[in-house]
Formats: sequence, C-alpha cells, structure tokens
Amino acid sequence: MLSRVADSLYWMSRYMERADGILRMLKINYASSQDDIQEFSWMPVLRIFTYLDEEGAVKISRNTRAVLQYMVTDRENSNSVLNIITHARENARSVQDHITKELWQCLNDFYHIVRDEKLNRELHKEDPVSILDVLIKQGMLYFGTLDVTMARGEGFAFINLGKYLERGVQSADILDVKFSDMRYDFRKTDTTYWKYLLLSISGYELYLKTYRSGFDARNVVEQIVLNEEFPRSVLYSVDRVSRYFERLKGERNKEAFQKIDFMIGRILSKVRYSTVETIMAQGLHAYLIGIKEDLYQVGNALNHNYFAYT
Amino acid sequence: MQTSELLNSYSVDPATWDEMYTDQTVRGQYKGVVDFMQQMSIEELNKKEELAKRLFMSQGITFTVYSSGEGIEKIFPFDIIPRIITASEWKYIEDGIKQRLKALNLFLKDVYNSQFILKDGIVPVEMVYSCPHYLREMHGFHVPHDLYVHIAGIDLIRDHDGTFYILEDNLRTPSGVSYMLENREITKRIFPDLLPNNNVRSVTDYPNILHRNLVSLSPRQTAHPTVVVLTPGIYNSAYFEHTTLARLMGVELVEGRDLVVDNHRVYMKTTAGLQQVDVIYRRVDDEFLDPLVFNPDSMLGVAGIMSAYRKGNVAIVNAIGNGVADDKAIYTYVPAMIRYYLNEEPILKNVPTYQLGHPDEREHVFGNMQKMVVKRTNESGGYGMLMGHSASDEEISKYKMEILKDPRQFIAQPIISLSSAPCYMNGKLKPRRVDLRPYALCGPEGIQIVPGGLTRVALREGSLVVNSSQGGGSKDTWVLAG
Repeated sequence: MLSRVADSLYWMSRYMERADGILRMLKINYASSQDDIQEFSWMPVLRIFTYLDEEGAVKISRNTRAVLQYMVTDRENSNSVLNIITHARENARSVQDHITKELWQCLNDFYHIVRDEKLNRELHKEDPVSILDVLIKQGMLYFGTLDVTMARGEGFAFINLGKYLERGVQSADILDVKFSDMRYDFRKTDTTYWKYLLLSISGYELYLKTYRSGFDARNVVEQIVLNEEFPRSVLYSVDRVSRYFERLKGERNKEAFQKIDFMIGRILSKVRYSTVETIMAQGLHAYLIGIKEDLYQVGNALNHNYFAYT
Repeated sequence: MQTSELLNSYSVDPATWDEMYTDQTVRGQYKGVVDFMQQMSIEELNKKEELAKRLFMSQGITFTVYSSGEGIEKIFPFDIIPRIITASEWKYIEDGIKQRLKALNLFLKDVYNSQFILKDGIVPVEMVYSCPHYLREMHGFHVPHDLYVHIAGIDLIRDHDGTFYILEDNLRTPSGVSYMLENREITKRIFPDLLPNNNVRSVTDYPNILHRNLVSLSPRQTAHPTVVVLTPGIYNSAYFEHTTLARLMGVELVEGRDLVVDNHRVYMKTTAGLQQVDVIYRRVDDEFLDPLVFNPDSMLGVAGIMSAYRKGNVAIVNAIGNGVADDKAIYTYVPAMIRYYLNEEPILKNVPTYQLGHPDEREHVFGNMQKMVVKRTNESGGYGMLMGHSASDEEISKYKMEILKDPRQFIAQPIISLSSAPCYMNGKLKPRRVDLRPYALCGPEGIQIVPGGLTRVALREGSLVVNSSQGGGSKDTWVLAG
C-alpha cells in the first residue's frame, strides 16, 4: 500500500472518530445544560475541544446556542464538526480507490449535510438534539458501512489504528478535563455530574450494572481507564491499537514494526497493570498526561516509519 | 395533452441536422425514447432530473470551484435525454476512427525516427519543427510495440446534411471517459428498463480493455506487473475521473510525490518500502512530467522518469510527445498521412482548415472573418478561440493583430453548424447543439472502440461551443445494436 494512502486512511479515520466524540459530547452536555445543575458551564467542553482562548471561551460559555453553532458549523473554528468532516472527506477523496464506493458516498453525503445552510439555521432555531441526532446517525452509518463493506486488509488496519488512537486520547482528555474542572477533588459526590460524564461516552448503563452502590469518583476513573469491556476505556482502545498493529507484521519493514510494537506493548502493560490505587498514588493528571504522551509518540512513529512519502 | 406539451416547442433550425427530427417526424432510432417520455408527466420527468442531480452529488462526481476562499461543489450539467446513434452510423464512425488512428500512430513513429514523411515532402518540415509539442527528447528510441497512441478521444461533429467531420484528434490525455461510464449508470437508475428495451450496446467493458492493454505494455516479464494511474492530485478538475479509472481497473492511483526514480527505474513508496512500477497511465501533461527534462518548476512530475522511459524500464501511456500529431495545424495533413501510410482514401472527413502561416490562406480568412472560427493550434478546451459570426469588429481586429504576431500558431475553419439533439428544459424538449467524442483504445492486439462515447452539448440556446469550461453539459450516448 502506498504510504500516502495509508496516511490518508489513518487520518480519515481519526477525524471521523473525533467528529463522533464531539457530537456525542455535545448532545449530552446540551441535556446537562437544560438540567438542574447550578454550576453548569460549557467551559470544560470549550477547553478540551476548541482552541479558543480563555476570554473567547468565557464569552460564549453560558450561551448554549452560540456554543453549539461554534462547535458544529462554524467555518472559522478549525475543530468544528464541519471542518473535521471536511478534512475526513478530503482524505477519503484522495483514496477513493482504497475505500468502498459505499463508504465514500456515505462520507460524501455527511459532508454535504453538515455544510448545508439549512442545518445552521435549524441549529439556531429548532431542537438541537434532533439535529445532533441526524449527524450522529450519519456517523453511525459510516462506522457500519466501514465494518460491513471494507476488506480486512492493510488499509483496514490503518483505519482502525487511527480510530483507536484517537479514541484513547479522547477518553483520557475527557476524564482529565472533567476532573480538573473540580480540581481533582475525589470526594465530590454530585450524582448528576458523573451521570452526564458517563452518558457522554455511552458508559452510564455499564456503570450502573458494574457498581451498584451509587457514584464514586474512583469507580468512574476505573471504568473509563481500566474497564476492558467498556469500548471507550483507555485500556480497550490501547488493546485495539495493539491488535490492529499486529496485522501489519510482515517480512518487510521489520525493524520499524518491532520498534512500534514495543512502544505499544509498553503502553498496554502500563495501563493493564494499573489499579485505581496506583493511579491515585501517581496523581490522575500526571497519569493521564503520560498515557496521552505515549499515544502521541506512537502516532509520530507511525508517521515516520509508515507514512513518510515526501 | 402532455404529448404536445413536451414536443410542441421543438422547432428545428432548417439549416441544421437534427438527431431526432427529420421533416417533422421522429427518426426511427428515437421513437422508443420519445414514446417513453410521452407516457410520463412533467412532474415525473422533473423528478427524474432531480434524481440525476442528486446521484451525481452524492457520488462526488463533482468539481470544486474556489471562490472567496471557499470550495463549492458543482456537478457538470447532465441532460436526461440520451443521444442516439444507429448501428450503421456507428460502423462508419468506427471504421473511420480506426483508419485515422492507424495513420496517426505511424506518423508519430515516423516523425520521431526515420522521418520518411518529411523527406518525401508530404508534411512540411517546418510544420513539425515549429510545433511546441514536438519533443526532441523522444527522438530515436522505440516505445513498446511501436504504440504511441493508446487512448484517443476523437471529436466528431455533424454538418447540416448529417455528414460526420473530425474536429480534433485528442491524442495526449483525453478526458471525459468517466462521464461516458457514469452517465450510463445514471440512465440505468432514472429510466429503468429503457436501455434493454431499446437494444442499447453496453459500454462497461472500457476499464477491462484498458487494463488489459496497460498490462500488456509492461517491460518486465512478470505475472503481475505494477500498473498505476498518475494524477496531478485532488485539485485537478478531472480528479474524479482518475479515481474512477483506478478503481474500475483495480490499480493504484499515484501522485508524483508517491514515485521516485532510482537507477533508471521507477518505484512507488509503500508502507513496505519501495515497489517497482512497470506501466504508468499518466494524466499529467508532458510539460510537467519530469522537472529534470521539461518544466523545472513542476511539482506534479517525477524527477528522472524520462530517463527510465528512454531506457525502456517503464511504459508511459500515452507516449510523450504525441502533441505533434494532434496539433491543430498538423491536423490539415492527416488525410494526406492516411493516403501516404495506408494507401487508402480517408473515411472520415476533415473540416476544411486554413493555415494562417500561409500568406494566401491568411488573406482569404481575413477577408471572411464572419464565417470563420479561428483557433490557436496548441490550445484546447475552447480557450483562445474566436467565433467570427458572434465577435464584434473590435474583437476581430484585435484578434487579427494577435495572429500577425505569430501566424503559425493559428488556424481557421469555416463555422460548421453542429447537429442538434433534444434536451429536457423546464418541461419541454428543446434542440441544442452537440458533438461526439468516442474513446478508442489501441493495444498490441489492435484498436477497440467501446460502442458509446461522450456527447457534449451546448446548453445555451444557439451556442456552438460545447466545452464544459464554456457552459457545456453532457448526455448519455447510445449506440444501438443492429
């Protein structure tokens, strides 16, 4: 496979995962903003997902519509869903002969939907949840089409590497910012706060089934970092990265493979053999920053050893 | 009555050949389609048109127009009424194109090697050497199977009496074949059963034939030679076509930056290291192909590719330097080439062409500018031309000054009216001018032309310019079986 093609598939996939994450997070935070939470603010969201400076973020942080518009359809916001989907589509466009026609059409349709002026108007006036749902569904269509139609070759491996690297980073990010928001105070027991955090990454039901004794910050950390069965946990994401990377094993490019395999293996062990206690001892923030840094390095190594073509 | 609604405003210019009507009756080949359309209401037809647009949009068969820093996706206008060619018309076209391509290919081989045709004075030496597309880098080496033209898109038009004329031989990187294929797919979707009921021949073989030809050119004797399509990149207006062809042939689509030349061999950069490339179907112009030999500023090409080509380590399709054969001034000599190389009379006619480099012919043209279309010999896409009948006196005198600066770069032809064909416009059929570009594939086994092509249509009323850059659209093109 061409290095450029691998690079484009990887980034198409990272962008799609990012868009999905942002949309879900927006939906739940919107619900949360309508709920009876006294100190609800869009600040943490704006901090994780945009490049706005403090002043710019404060300005819109209490205006839900303005935040939604900025995050979904704003052309100036380089991390708006519109721009992310545009990037994903540009990447897909240059590798149309490596993805199925169905997948390309699905992504292309997504692009046309998110760019439609009508969407922007509706976001301003109508029920935002319905609009976010339309977009989330279009994303689901992408993930389903990918799964049902794509050949399980090298390209599929690069797509999944991008997807799970992005997801790992995102989960670590969400957790870190939510805790920083409350200054890493683990005694906080405000139920609604945790409920919406878990809902935003589809982990609420699982939490209820796993921990029957109400909300505890430690349990939340455990689920989002360490639960192997939770598809958005850090551990699950790293485990998938490792699995899909294994598929690239081959006679050629052996040296690069071993190097990156070693890096991924080390992260996987580090997460797998952590407990909530060891994480707390190290400090949650330091721990999450460390994981993120490690994942970025895997991205860089892939870039250097597999994608470099210029 | 919808019947008359649809057809009542169809008024054919008596001085024009109409593809559908003759003496106020519908020609046999169009009967099936006209009957079918008449059974539909305007609403249904409008819906079909809407569906066609949506299909193009959703499949990304679009080109991007950049205005105020923002890309806008546009589709090439598609008219839902097919253009229909009878079996006997097709036979004639097919024979004519095959004959012409045979001669043109021999001309290219000759002009880059022994140059008999120049020595015998059939084509003037100065015509060839003054052509900017004549490349001395191509001199004196053999291309695989002596094939220079692998893919040709020859433009045909019809005069008022229905005679076909060759307008242009496109022997470099003719585009539009993806529209031949996609337009057909759209027809299948919007008019179920219409194709089989009318006995229309299929065009789907095109990518298979092309692939087979490309594989057969491989200089390496290997079971699975590496064939690639070389594109200038996603910002090229024909990018959709490049990906379509790569996908339909199942080969890699590469950009210049994906390739590298080492020791006169071309490689592509893959995730598993370098992989040798055997055949390149390039959609990059000669000028940009190798910065070491041609335009040094080119970012689209591959440094050293020309040396690999000359060494015979890679096949390039179409051959480099073909521009000398489809130059608009050399065009005049194609009938002479056919007689010289094949000892045959040309089947398809040339449009009479005046060389403005000749003082006598120039004088004649200058005296009759209103009846002439003047073109630059090395431009295409409808750029840099003057239609005498619609130009102002000022435009004409300005253009004349341009011509006098370098007369060799201009030719003139009497304005040929172009035949008209029905187009669906706001609930009515209206005649609009069309041309025809069939795609010929030449391989070691011979020349094959898939029964179909691209019909381009001038959507503006009265316009004779069909180029997409000048407000043209396209139609599905049917060739009927027997």
